[in-house]
Amino acid sequence: MLGLLLAGTAATACASSTGGQVVRFDVSAAGPADAAGTRAFDNGLGWHVELSKATLHIGAIYMNATVPTSGAQFTNCILPGLYTAEELAGLDVDVLSATPQKFPARGEGTDDEVKTGELWLTSGDINAAADPTLIADVAGVATEGSAARPFTARVTIGANRLIASSDPAHPSAHPICKQRIVSPIAIALAPRDGGQLLVRVDPAAWFANVDFTALTAVTTSPPAFEIPDDNATDAGQNLFSGLRSTGSDNYQFSFE
Amino acid sequence: MNRPFTAIVIFTFGASSVARAHPADAGVPIDARRADAPDAPSPPVDALPTFAVVTRRDPPIYPDVPPARRRPVDVSIRVDVDAAGQPSNARVLSPANPPFDDVAEGAALGWAYAPATSNGVATASSLDVTVHLEPTAAATAAAEVITIRDELAPTTATKPPSTGAADFRIDVGQMATAVPRKDGAAGLLQLAPGFLLTNEGGEGHAEQIFLRGFDAREGQDIELRLNGDVVNQVGNLHGNGYADLHFILPELVESVRVVEGPYDPRQGNFAVAGSADYELGLAKRGLFASYETGSFGTSRALLLWGPPGDGPHTFGGVEVYQTSGFGQNRDARRATALGQVEAKLGEHGLWRLTSGAYISDYHSAGVIREDDYDAGRRGFYDTYDFGQGGSVARVFVLGAIDHHHDDITYHHQLSLTGQTMRLREDFTGFLLDQQTSFQQPHPQRGDLIDLESDAITAQASGFMRQTHTWLDRAQHLELGYFARLDRTSGVQYRDEAANDHPYHQDTDLDATLGDVGLYASADLRFTDWLALRGGGRTDLLTYNAIDNCAVQDVSHPSPNNPPGDASCLSQESFGNYREPVQRATTAGTAVLPRGAVLVGPFEHVIGSLAYGEGVRSIDPSYITQDVKTPFASIRSYDAGLEYQASQHGVAMSLELSAFRTHVDKDLIFSESVGRAVLANGTTRTGASLAGRATSRWFDQSASLTVVQSTFDDTGLLIPYVPDVVARTDTVVFGALPYSDLGGKPITGLAGLGVTYVGRRALPYGERSDAVFTLDGSVQATWRRYTVGLKASNLLDNRYRLGEYNYASDFHSQGEPTLTIARQFTAGAPRTVVLQLQVQL
Repeated sequence: MLGLLLAGTAATACASSTGGQVVRFDVSAAGPADAAGTRAFDNGLGWHVELSKATLHIGAIYMNATVPTSGAQFTNCILPGLYTAEELAGLDVDVLSATPQKFPARGEGTDDEVKTGELWLTSGDINAAADPTLIADVAGVATEGSAARPFTARVTIGANRLIASSDPAHPSAHPICKQRIVSPIAIALAPRDGGQLLVRVDPAAWFANVDFTALTAVTTSPPAFEIPDDNATDAGQNLFSGLRSTGSDNYQFSFE
Repeated sequence: MNRPFTAIVIFTFGASSVARAHPADAGVPIDARRADAPDAPSPPVDALPTFAVVTRRDPPIYPDVPPARRRPVDVSIRVDVDAAGQPSNARVLSPANPPFDDVAEGAALGWAYAPATSNGVATASSLDVTVHLEPTAAATAAAEVITIRDELAPTTATKPPSTGAADFRIDVGQMATAVPRKDGAAGLLQLAPGFLLTNEGGEGHAEQIFLRGFDAREGQDIELRLNGDVVNQVGNLHGNGYADLHFILPELVESVRVVEGPYDPRQGNFAVAGSADYELGLAKRGLFASYETGSFGTSRALLLWGPPGDGPHTFGGVEVYQTSGFGQNRDARRATALGQVEAKLGEHGLWRLTSGAYISDYHSAGVIREDDYDAGRRGFYDTYDFGQGGSVARVFVLGAIDHHHDDITYHHQLSLTGQTMRLREDFTGFLLDQQTSFQQPHPQRGDLIDLESDAITAQASGFMRQTHTWLDRAQHLELGYFARLDRTSGVQYRDEAANDHPYHQDTDLDATLGDVGLYASADLRFTDWLALRGGGRTDLLTYNAIDNCAVQDVSHPSPNNPPGDASCLSQESFGNYREPVQRATTAGTAVLPRGAVLVGPFEHVIGSLAYGEGVRSIDPSYITQDVKTPFASIRSYDAGLEYQASQHGVAMSLELSAFRTHVDKDLIFSESVGRAVLANGTTRTGASLAGRATSRWFDQSASLTVVQSTFDDTGLLIPYVPDVVARTDTVVFGALPYSDLGGKPITGLAGLGVTYVGRRALPYGERSDAVFTLDGSVQATWRRYTVGLKASNLLDNRYRLGEYNYASDFHSQGEPTLTIARQFTAGAPRTVVLQLQVQL
């Protein structure tokens, strides 16, 4: 009897835990490791692009322990599964700098292994119809042969990116919140307390399918072109699609 | 000298040390001693009056009361003694305490007296004596067949026998009110070891009970009864087994039997962590009125009525209560009426009728995120959602008949209960309102759960207990039944934060639920020191449920009849029409062996080994047509040692218990769903130590429980359940020194309750803060009048009553907070209440 009591007491004294750990960690974002204030690359349509300016506003970062079911016809903006880590303080990131730029507040979460990352490109209500936040601001020169096209692009996500549903049974098939979330980004890491999450962004992928041929000059002397901030033109839509592309060549998460 | 003489005689039987402490006072009138004061003139010796004195004291026979009530009792009696020394007209002066009063009156009338004299002539007078009744007196011992503790004695009347060290018979007595209990009658459970009560839902919300490593929620894992009638509400949407005890006035609780584990065949559905059965009674006779007023606009009026001449089980009580509550959004109002009549039925029977009504309306504050509190965005006692709260109504009638004939006791009872409950809770803020493709575009509209759960319940139970003689000892066999039928209805909406409009229907379920249980229990005595108690129980539970909102999602909906924002859809895949309802019926049986071996080879000490299997019925919202009902099965083991003795006027009991309980399919609370959801198997292992000591001037109860609760598959701790709970309740009482006022002393009473709860395990390896609180009261009573002060949380600790780790988003930051975070419910700050009472 006494033994049982002592065993019970000892067991309690040695009680482990409920498993897992709450973690807090620094979060930084940067351009590619080889970025040095400019970025030169060839896109998929044969244009050579040299970026002189590229910033990205990241409103929030989330990481999820699950992978969205493939083949689902419609998915919600907030994925099913378990969100295990988040960074809620927004930051305008110079993605032409290889130097990690620290977010103003630490990230929080648990030490669960995460499989999906999300970048929220907003600075307010993810469901708001209008949001004037400048999400991406880029400038550079695109050349193909002898044709050189200095260009700028300013990307916002509001009514200009809304996709109307053609199916009356699914009026919310394309909610605006989905336009503002880069997801799912495949990752594999486990946050730990005191560590640092680094998100590297390569703006080259944004321009993978941008055809500069069709751009209209906004000024002729000197010549300057602008990629429209909407989905009505191929260039504008392709830039936006590139921005939201979840490929590993676009966004890379690592934890140190 | 016409004024009756007054004398005090302290007579102690079986407590010689107490008697020795007052040798000079015995039988000596106070007035006589005053006459010897130095300044008093000395009258002639033959003119000195003498006072009536007791010349022979026959020991009183301790009355036949339940073991839990056996303790030393003093009864003050005033008796007239005529000039011949004959006593008459004995009447009780101390507060009513039947059946001790009758015994004491009889004892006082049976004693021999010498009459008082005046001027040498015998004269009539009155004499105040104290009759002391001691449970270990020879008279009591002679009535026992055995010499060890009375738990091994043959069972009497309708009380079930003890199942060992995990079976606590708590004679509430002054503990009911002397120690402030903000939890009402539920707080009395803390007189048994291991109980922790919290409440995240407000004053009209049932207490969440933690016991022996179980988060028993509001009743899902603990069977709660009132006079044998089950309080747990089957099919309550907030939690299957939800049991709100606020309809019980704590002043009307005579005793509570707590069995920590499923060891008694009489225990039914929900007795997973154990069971508690409240027995109503009112010792005071006459009219008792009480008014309390204090902190946070709290006021409470209470009227109790115990007809003189009737027993303690005939009474009435009415309570009206209101408070503005501490912090934000904690106001509450309630009214309660509770009455009971008990009387003889023929020569050998007894009937009893109990009825009650209870209504309540309240608001609640819910949880606060720790990061919001730390950042100053919210105060400790604030709320996010002022829509939280609820209302409750309950009415019931319960009739019971006992009949004793030769060696057979019959008991039957029947009840009808109607109850309704509305509950609005918001644990998550703006997290769960997912945009579906069917719906029109919308933001997160709010997660406030608005549920209504109604039930009509009929219960019947009874037993026949027969006594046989075998091995020259009385052996008892009991056959019993239990039956209940519930007609329940539950609807749960989600309300929009902006306007409280429901925007989504989560559940709409109607159910008819049946439960018929049969049990056989034996109480076998093989020797004076060995008893075997137990038997088996089987329950058949039936379910007939219709889900009125069975279709909430559809693939390939019809473009011609789009489902839109409706919650309960009338189509299935590809838009084919179907009714939105789905009915399911099923049934399940459970066979539950339970028993205990009690061994008492040594005086005052008894050991016990108990084993039992329990069952928790499934929430009707989980049933599927003809699929075997997935009951949760519980196996529990308990080994205990008990010590009970009475020495020097102090009755002591001590229980030491080690236990292990396994549940094959547990229920763990989900904040997002708003109720418990199925989980894997779990095991609890632990030990408890409890003791109580009572005397003529104090009542002390203390307990300590340690337990480890783990999931079977991972070995990890179950979150939220406390692994260390300690509690003490202390009450001291008696006449205050130098307080004689108009010939009557002022009696005082002071109570102190101390609670310690260790740091509870939280999800992700976290631990909550420990909880330490002091609650106390003081009272002074003169004649019929009492004034007192009660204070909860004397140290004004700012403590977290409940702490939780889960995801929530209360829009307190710019972006949604989707990962787990610490939230807490605030414990009450110091609360002081003034009491004014009168006994008429």
